[in-house]
Amino acid sequence: MLEVEDVVARYGAIEALKGVSIRVRAGEIVTIIGANGAGKSTLLMTICGNPRAASGRIRFDGRDITDLPTYDIVRLGIAQAPEGRRIFPRMTVLENLMMGAVPTGGAHFEEDVERVFALFPRLRERQNQRGGTLSGGEQQMLCIGRALMARPRLLLLDEPSLGIAPILVRQIFEAIVALNRERGLPILLVEQNAYQALKIAHRGYVLASGRVVMQGTGRELLADPEIRAAYLEGGH
Amino acid sequence: MAADAAGAIGPKLKDAALAALVAIALTVPILGMETVPGPDGRLTLDFHFHLVAIAAVLVFAGRLALSLLLRGRQLRPSGRSGAVAEFVSRHGTWFGLAGIAFALVLPFMPFASRYVIDVATTIVIYVMLGWGLNIVVGLAGLLDLGYVAFYAVGAYSYALFAQWFGLGFWICLPIAGLLAAIAGVLLGFPVLRLRGDYLAIVTLGFGEIIRLVLINWHEVTGGPNGIADIPRPTFFGFPFTRDPGEGETAFHELFGLEFSTLHRVIFLYYLALFLALVTNLFVLRIRKLPIGRAWEALREDEIACKALGINPTNTKLTAFALGAMFGGFAGSFFATRQGFISPESFTFIESAIILAIVVLGGMGSQIGVVLAAAVIVLLPEIGREFETYRMLLFGAAMVLIMIWRPRGLLAHREPTLTLAGSTGGTGTRGGGR
Ligand SMILES: Nc1ncnc2c1ncn2[C@@H]1O[C@H](COP(=O)(O)OP(=O)(O)OP(=O)(O)O)[C@@H](O)[C@H]1O
Ligand SMILES: [Mg+2]
Repeated sequence: MLEVEDVVARYGAIEALKGVSIRVRAGEIVTIIGANGAGKSTLLMTICGNPRAASGRIRFDGRDITDLPTYDIVRLGIAQAPEGRRIFPRMTVLENLMMGAVPTGGAHFEEDVERVFALFPRLRERQNQRGGTLSGGEQQMLCIGRALMARPRLLLLDEPSLGIAPILVRQIFEAIVALNRERGLPILLVEQNAYQALKIAHRGYVLASGRVVMQGTGRELLADPEIRAAYLEGGH
Repeated sequence: MAADAAGAIGPKLKDAALAALVAIALTVPILGMETVPGPDGRLTLDFHFHLVAIAAVLVFAGRLALSLLLRGRQLRPSGRSGAVAEFVSRHGTWFGLAGIAFALVLPFMPFASRYVIDVATTIVIYVMLGWGLNIVVGLAGLLDLGYVAFYAVGAYSYALFAQWFGLGFWICLPIAGLLAAIAGVLLGFPVLRLRGDYLAIVTLGFGEIIRLVLINWHEVTGGPNGIADIPRPTFFGFPFTRDPGEGETAFHELFGLEFSTLHRVIFLYYLALFLALVTNLFVLRIRKLPIGRAWEALREDEIACKALGINPTNTKLTAFALGAMFGGFAGSFFATRQGFISPESFTFIESAIILAIVVLGGMGSQIGVVLAAAVIVLLPEIGREFETYRMLLFGAAMVLIMIWRPRGLLAHREPTLTLAGSTGGTGTRGGGR
């Protein structure tokens, strides 16, 4: 489905990705874990063409998307819930969702809004509230919901649990699993919360300083002593 | 207790002294020096430092009294005015209709002298310019300090096409709008990657470039002399003249009226009102279309927009082009109203005034623009009695308004979208306003 091959990405002189190869197959949850600054967010952004890969190839459904502009990549069916949520603060929840529907031209808007509300009932109550006044957890739900409005065929999630209370984290992870199991939506999930992420993921990659240093199934990685020491310290 | 009060008065004294210093710096050139013709006819300087001293003492005392009276309470926007703003925005349709009804009957009110209608026309034109610039600044969030350039392009397009080809107003109008829109795209391209301060600087430069071109391109624009004898508007072919030429019927003959110069003034007023209402309808409509929402989203977060599949380039260019187009329409109207245009009319101060209207109105609020345009046009008019101090008064009023409502008169934003039935029914409809 998604193949990232030996991709290098730079911010000026900083090489944030130094030849990364990953793969997401149909119906999979794939997680990427790694320390701060490892290049996880950069990898998701590079898949969307911003920054552009300096070398290497990115293919989606067999089609080379390495050099497409971001908005075309999104239109092909890759939606992203970016790091820091980036919802539109002055727009209401509904308007934010409408912005997510840009790639579909707003067709099936009501049906898709209903599906998002079914997934995150909280958003229904808050539909006319301005995005900036939502709590952090609600903003994260909105961010994921907005990405879903594009009817993506691949969902990229960047740290959906960041700064959110444990109960809400559980809700959000349940929603992610539901999306994957019920709709067969492939998901590429970047997480600091390695334990939770690996538990729901089919496969995982460990990124360190812009390189993939380890990969395997979720269960293998969870059991790996090195990973336990490095990322699951004190993890339960 | 006493020590407490003394401790608190220190910073207040310092604050008042600072205000007095500022007052001195400002009043030395304004009050302290006067140029008077000397005995040999040359100008010499007279000094009135006692006036400066008086001003400084007054400011010191006033500032101290103010901070003692307010005691920590700040001069801040009151919650009530916010509620009023929200009320006005929420019932915007009704306020809008009432405003339009008033505007329609205005020329027939007993107080509607020629002067009143003239001022009203000016207000309406600034309202239209404000609504046009609102697309760029208020909705798309692109700070444009050179909006007057498009006003100029529209005015000159109208003047030149009318003179060269003898085309009438209604044919020149779309041409002027189109040319202004093209100018908007030309400005848009180089500034696509700029934001905020940098964008402001480049647009400022663009406004100046257009003005300099108008001054220096003698062959076409008449240079600093401008263009005179621009065809005056006709009532769909019937001129507003006392003695129409052979085979022509004048407006007053057509309706069997006594000739009056007021007819043209009233017609111009309605023309301006019509153009402004078209602008308003357009903006209200487009705000609820994908492109309008994309503008607002772009203002809030460009990176998020890209990630959602919005093409920021096209979105920005359409904002520039459409905003410029309405500037061009207004420019056409300006040319036909004045009958004479020159680069003098298109200086930076015009851009600044239009921008002030948008900011004062509350960045994106349609009714706010109307209020702000009325304030900005009327304040100097009312201030005429104060002659020399008119602009001072104007500045002071602006400062006070911005303290009272730092985010503009009507900063409340109405959603463009709600679901029918708040629990999420079937149909969607556009929100109020
Ligand atoms: N816009 C940018 N300009 C310059 N350098 C950047 C930019 N964004 C990221 N970097 C650098 O690229 C490297 C990788 O950053 P990235 O955001 O991908 O890390 P991350 O793995 O997502 O970290 P975190 O877990 O803290 O979010 C870092 O060294 C960072 O400083
Ligand atoms: Mg990150």
